[in-house]
Amino acid sequence: MSECPPSNCEGCPAHHAGNLKKLGVNMDQFDYVVALAGNPNTGKSTVFNAITGLRQHTGNWPGKTVARAEGGFALGESRYKLVDLPGTYSLLSTTVDEEVARNFILFARPDVTVVVVDANHLERNLNLVLQVLEITDRAVVCLNLVDEAKRHGRTVDHRRLARDLGVPVVPTVARSNTGIDELLNTVAGVASGEIVGKPKRNAAVRGQGRRAIEEMTELIESALPGLSNARWVAMRLLDGDRRLEEAIHSGELVELAGQSASGEVASGAVVGTDAIAMTTAARSIVESSRALRWDLGVGFQDAVTESMYARAARIADRAVSLADTPRRFDLDRVVDNLVTSRWLGFPIMLGILGVIFWLTIAGANVPSGMLATLLIGKVHPMLLAFGAQLHFPWWLSGLLIDGMYLATAWVVSVMLPPMAIFFPLFTILEDFGYLARVAFNLDGMFKRSGAHGKQALTMSMGFGCNAAGVVATRIIDSRRERLIAIITNNFALCNGRWPTQILIATIFIGGLVPAQLAGFVSASAVVGIAVLGVGLTFAVSWFLSRTMLRGEPTSFSLELPPYRPPRFWRTVYTSLIDRTIFVLWRAIMFAVPAGAAIWLAGNINIGGVSIAQHLIGAFDPFGLLLGLNGVILLAYLVAIPANEIVIPTLLMLTVMNAGIGGVGAGSGVMFELESVADTASILQAGGWTVLTGVNLMLFSLLHNPCSTTIYTIWKETRSRRWTIVASLLPLVMGFLVCFLVAQVWRLIIG
Amino acid sequence: MQAPLVNLFIFASMCVAAAVLFWPRRGIVVRRRGESLERVLVEDTLKHLYHNGEQTLTQVADALRVSGERALRIVDRMQRGELIELCEEKFCLTSEGLAYALQIIRAHRLWERHLADETGHDPVEWHARAERREHSITREEADDLAARLGYPRFDPHGDPIPTSDGVLREAETLALPQLDSGDAATIVHLEDEPAVVYAQLMALGVYVGMILRIEAKTEGRLVLAADGRSIILAPVVAGNISVRRLEPFESEELESAETLASLQPGDTAEVVRISQKCRGVERRRLMDLGVVPGTSIQFERRGLTGGLTAYRVRGTVIGLREEQTTMIAIRPSKEVAS
Repeated sequence: MSECPPSNCEGCPAHHAGNLKKLGVNMDQFDYVVALAGNPNTGKSTVFNAITGLRQHTGNWPGKTVARAEGGFALGESRYKLVDLPGTYSLLSTTVDEEVARNFILFARPDVTVVVVDANHLERNLNLVLQVLEITDRAVVCLNLVDEAKRHGRTVDHRRLARDLGVPVVPTVARSNTGIDELLNTVAGVASGEIVGKPKRNAAVRGQGRRAIEEMTELIESALPGLSNARWVAMRLLDGDRRLEEAIHSGELVELAGQSASGEVASGAVVGTDAIAMTTAARSIVESSRALRWDLGVGFQDAVTESMYARAARIADRAVSLADTPRRFDLDRVVDNLVTSRWLGFPIMLGILGVIFWLTIAGANVPSGMLATLLIGKVHPMLLAFGAQLHFPWWLSGLLIDGMYLATAWVVSVMLPPMAIFFPLFTILEDFGYLARVAFNLDGMFKRSGAHGKQALTMSMGFGCNAAGVVATRIIDSRRERLIAIITNNFALCNGRWPTQILIATIFIGGLVPAQLAGFVSASAVVGIAVLGVGLTFAVSWFLSRTMLRGEPTSFSLELPPYRPPRFWRTVYTSLIDRTIFVLWRAIMFAVPAGAAIWLAGNINIGGVSIAQHLIGAFDPFGLLLGLNGVILLAYLVAIPANEIVIPTLLMLTVMNAGIGGVGAGSGVMFELESVADTASILQAGGWTVLTGVNLMLFSLLHNPCSTTIYTIWKETRSRRWTIVASLLPLVMGFLVCFLVAQVWRLIIG
Repeated sequence: MQAPLVNLFIFASMCVAAAVLFWPRRGIVVRRRGESLERVLVEDTLKHLYHNGEQTLTQVADALRVSGERALRIVDRMQRGELIELCEEKFCLTSEGLAYALQIIRAHRLWERHLADETGHDPVEWHARAERREHSITREEADDLAARLGYPRFDPHGDPIPTSDGVLREAETLALPQLDSGDAATIVHLEDEPAVVYAQLMALGVYVGMILRIEAKTEGRLVLAADGRSIILAPVVAGNISVRRLEPFESEELESAETLASLQPGDTAEVVRISQKCRGVERRRLMDLGVVPGTSIQFERRGLTGGLTAYRVRGTVIGLREEQTTMIAIRPSKEVAS
């Protein structure tokens, strides 16, 4: 090393290797270094694995917490090192990932940069390609996922694309190793200099900034003549890129200019005083860029992004051809004309939703009954007998079997059948594409409340299960509207609350009118509550968007996908797993401890009276103030895990509290009765009046979400603040409404 | 059980008490907490001196809306801290004072930029919110904010944002009334005070970056053509708008007078640009959907309940709200719909 004359440093591979070492790449056994870049979700890691096989190891980028993978491959006589750059959408260095990727391509100057692109989302992915091509000409585009594109009817003309971009494009299906060999050969060709890329660099940026860019570019070209990407450096400096300014001050950029100069021109390497002169000139460049930035005008950054997007779009348009037949478009149009028509649009919507609800309620009855008979009627006694055989002490069998198991069994038997019907039906509609049209039709109403049309869908899902409704809000990408949809989801009367509503309405409201009308009247009452819930959804949405969510950024987008024949069995299967089992599992997780708590509260006696009764006594004054009672409040407290167990818990507590003998299955054990009349007499013996019934229906609509939903809200928002708001807002509203109704009722009716 | 009337009365009193105490920004408890610390008053004085030059004590007291004695105490403190000095019986900024003032202004304008680009707050609120926030942003926080926003040079009103070294360049601009009928210009600055005038500008849909042409100019009225519509301004309102004449190569910008909102059923058009009014997430979303200069866009159908309109863009059908369509400038295209 010490024998090398200094003038040859920049041209020497060891010098380059020294640079690479600084960036953490050890070149001891390799001839060339290849960088692998690409957007997230393009199959970049699959490409990486396909190329390197098991010859890879992972670590971190020096000084950063970004993960990094490195591997190697050999082709012919040469050995290549493959460095996996973080997946990024652009290189404008606003995030650590982008900074790492950009710095590597610019300063480490890999021999080849491979950019992995998803053939299904070409326009979006081309942004990164265009940016990479602004920095280096030694690039290869790996056009991945072409099989999926073909399935969707898209063909990408990779030759056309290569011509437009000016660099080689290789189609691949990394998953099946197709095209990988061709890719490696192309990479080798570029590395050795056989294949030369001539990327066409972006010319026009409209507006005031144009002059500033030209001036800056000229300055850089004259100060650092060897730099091959002067225009790109100019634009980055004008953008205020600190890292680049640092690179200029530290002399790194000067070195680069020297290196690229020596790469292209055989002799005349930069040396000694020339280097110092270059550094001084370079420093003045930074000052000029700062001064010029004031001349850029207000829309500069936007104009740059826009022109890049526009160029990417034009290139993609030329390269992609869609196989969709005109006939397909026409069919879609016909259906859309029907579905969004003034006269038929709403009736169709209400009709379809009505059918789904009816199917769910009617269809779930028998299976629920069967499950209840099985789990509660048969297995429960079996478990008790089993426990007796093992000589369980009364408290153990009580806790485990009467408490935990029973609560879980109840939740499962009531929750499972309706969900197993509702979710698949809903998902089929979704896959078909109809639901997007519903959002399209209803957006006007939601917009007035500051919400998004897609909330109609999450709300409908909420009628099945609130937790699933909250998960469904993922379809809303704007944060403000998403939070509104999550917080108001509770006002959609979920499956678990219908039994409570129906039972109470039948007893207390149906009981007010003659028998022939009873059925109709109580059904209307329940529908009325559901409609009230919908009205409250709009009102609370409006309230939230004007107060708590005021400053959250908002953006609207809605896509109307082409209609797709739903794959029936596939949908049923995935909706069962993704939605039904998922919710059920979470519910069980919460039901078990709740069951234990209920049993314990009913059976642990302090001062001769059970904890439950103490609590009831404590809650009673407040409960009565609200037109409810202590039993109801306690029941809702312990039934936080699932609304389904409110009725059995209520009955158990009422019986215990009022000391009604001969009914139920023992203290602390939940139960239900077949006959509505029997249930009615128990409640009346417990002191319930019509007011209690009405307020219970209101409270059931307005109380806090069940714990499954609360947990789901937390997982989806990852914000303690919003989870608390979502849990407490409905509860506070419930208290307020019940309080006001009770006072006015007592005032008027007495 | 108390009588219902008693309950309702107690409840109503509690509500009123809570409102009086805790109403955002006007409640007693809230206001007391936010009452001006000395530091805040000092900083406000610095800003006032920066914007208005030398001031007498009375002028300072008026601007801060405090008593003469309080103003005297503040000014005294500032003199001892070498932030201000006496220049012929009026107060003016020292070089430290100037640097400090620029930091506050930097924080203010960066915060406005953040509000404009990253939140959904109404433009009329930006200035007031920034006025409150500027006192609690440290220098490091300001630097981080600047980095995150991409080192912006101008705030959403068009005012220059001082760099972290305190460099600031005021642009040379024309006031709108100085133009003549037929002139073309782009708005570079909107004065945010008095608030009433600014609110009116917002209501008219005027924004920094808007490209306009003067259609008519009379004693009491100025008529502009911009974004496909006519805007009528009173002189006092027009006076708060600063513009820059369009360069010759920018005159093509005027061509696209129409916005997507005016596209008729069945017609196709070509996107020219997304207006400067559209910021942040909203703008990025539109570009991701394919609404970029040069793209062909076609009217597909209208939705029910007067909300959305569907357009076909690059093979996909997307729904857009009316506000969004007014922010997309188009050029009618002769293409036949596919």
